[in-house]
Amino acid sequence: MTSVNATFGEVAAERRIASAPLSHVSIELGHLYMEDFEAGPERLREQFRRVAPWAGTVRSSWQDRVPGGRARVSTCFLIDDYFSRFSTPAELVPMVLEAAADCDLTIDYIARESACAVSDGVELARLVEDRLVNDPPPDTNGSRPPVKESGWLCNGARSPQVGTVQAMGKANRWAPPLQNAKRGHSIFVDVELWDENGGKRTWSCPFLAAVWQLLRLGLLRTDGRLPLRPVMREDAFPDDWESLPAVMQLNPAAAPFSAYTTLSVLSPRFLPVELAVRTILSQVAVDGDVLRQVVARSGGEGIRLEEELVDRISYVFA
Amino acid sequence: MLVMGEVHTGLLQNSGEIPESTCRDVLQLLSGERVRVSRRPIVYAVSPDLLTGVDCRLPSASQSRIRGAGTVLSRSSITGGRVVQGSSYTRIERSGSDRRQPWSHYLARPGVVEVLGKVKSRDLADGFAEDPPADGLDLGAISARFLDVVQSSPLLDRRAPFKIARTRLRWVAEQGEPAIRFTLHSEQMRTVRLVHTGEFTPAVADLCEDLALHDWLLTALLVIIERARIGGTPGPEAAVKLAPAVDHLLHLWMPSARVDDVLSAYWESLDRRPGFTRQWQSLVDRVRDQLAVHTLAFLREKSGGGAR
Repeated sequence: MTSVNATFGEVAAERRIASAPLSHVSIELGHLYMEDFEAGPERLREQFRRVAPWAGTVRSSWQDRVPGGRARVSTCFLIDDYFSRFSTPAELVPMVLEAAADCDLTIDYIARESACAVSDGVELARLVEDRLVNDPPPDTNGSRPPVKESGWLCNGARSPQVGTVQAMGKANRWAPPLQNAKRGHSIFVDVELWDENGGKRTWSCPFLAAVWQLLRLGLLRTDGRLPLRPVMREDAFPDDWESLPAVMQLNPAAAPFSAYTTLSVLSPRFLPVELAVRTILSQVAVDGDVLRQVVARSGGEGIRLEEELVDRISYVFA
Repeated sequence: MLVMGEVHTGLLQNSGEIPESTCRDVLQLLSGERVRVSRRPIVYAVSPDLLTGVDCRLPSASQSRIRGAGTVLSRSSITGGRVVQGSSYTRIERSGSDRRQPWSHYLARPGVVEVLGKVKSRDLADGFAEDPPADGLDLGAISARFLDVVQSSPLLDRRAPFKIARTRLRWVAEQGEPAIRFTLHSEQMRTVRLVHTGEFTPAVADLCEDLALHDWLLTALLVIIERARIGGTPGPEAAVKLAPAVDHLLHLWMPSARVDDVLSAYWESLDRRPGFTRQWQSLVDRVRDQLAVHTLAFLREKSGGGAR
């Protein structure tokens, strides 16, 4: 009798991970806050004029890297509708598009910042918070649960609390905080992730920016699915922000929204925010299957991606 | 280089077995991630894998001070709606550098602890299997927390049908000529030294969890039989004490149910010697014989009573 090779599968026992369409680079052309809007379209044009040469440089450097110069580059623009609400999409979006066009820039995708908190009923910010794996200080051996200060995240060991009394009655003296992987001296960073007022949680700007980076890198999944897909624009823009899709595709010919790498061109005033974003992203555990998927895809195109996701993110502060 | 793990196994703190849907809710430890469930040949539900960061001393038989940093991979699971496990493991690898790297470096290698400096694989493996240092990597504490998180779920009624201690199985897997050694240390502690050909795969961890589960079942059944004091207590009393075994344990024996074909030879060799299934079968027979004897006695008593 010949032996029979039986296979048996159970759908509920298997993991399926959707793959995201990916560009080579996602360029963030700007981030609009209320104060910028209040300053009028000239402020926007000024910003786009500053950004345009850097965007051009990145585009051409990817064209050099990719065989046949067929680099997939997409551009995006983020509007803050989370910390303050102003104007309407119908009024604001055309103004932004016009200012960009004046500087020979095309905005492929426009996104709402509040979508980084909740989008289509999926709490993306919670999803990312659940995936934080704290950077352990030396002598963390797993015997106790990780020390977490609710709503805060740091890159080392905090100072002991001054004034608290130890068992022998000696008051604690101040000791410096320590960065875990310091080079010589510490640069200790402690980031507020959220605060709560009357039971309502407000995510901090760096935390939402970290979610934003993960979305642009195509590294988030919920139940194995992509948490959001860009929605093609309609002829008219709505009168309220809720009716605007989380990410709206403005250019039908655009390369995919998510990308292997990201570039953000920002004013230097955002430097502390981005340090906080890197501190957060250094402690986000992206799903191993998703990491492998992206590495396999890029490898198939002959592109070697940086292993650490924070190294796939670059900035120009101009 | 090698993989270290520890599995804790215990009786779910609930009066009856819980249905598949409750297993899913209890094991939902990570938002946006599904609990995986397989139903054949026995309902088995497992939480998503979670990571714990560590930076600490690693075990060493020669008492060398070896430091490692990285992440431990853990999960909770429930088998047959009745037995709960907390399991953790980490792959120990050499680091390219003697320095502690930024944390993002370690998160790019989930489930890997990198050794800073020089190390001998055998020294680490022996140190872990024997008696790891108290201030060293504590996989036991991590696994215990993954078992506790299930046991403390508000969905459980915390009225377990009998009391039974958790067991701990610590394992080390290395590459080489296939071999397995299973050692009973104390009432609760077991070690497994496993040598596998080719690269480590998570299937090795599955095998160790399956061994831990069946070792626990065997231990639990032995304890129940011991408590029944067959021959030392009146028949009806012994039968009552044996009943939980029938209600909650006997149907759970499914050796190798989730073990990869490539690894099933390890189970088979352990089943030849010491012969887990043989011992299990003889204990099951003993329980059933006792209950049969008791039933006969009961029927005889009843029919005798009716004649009077």
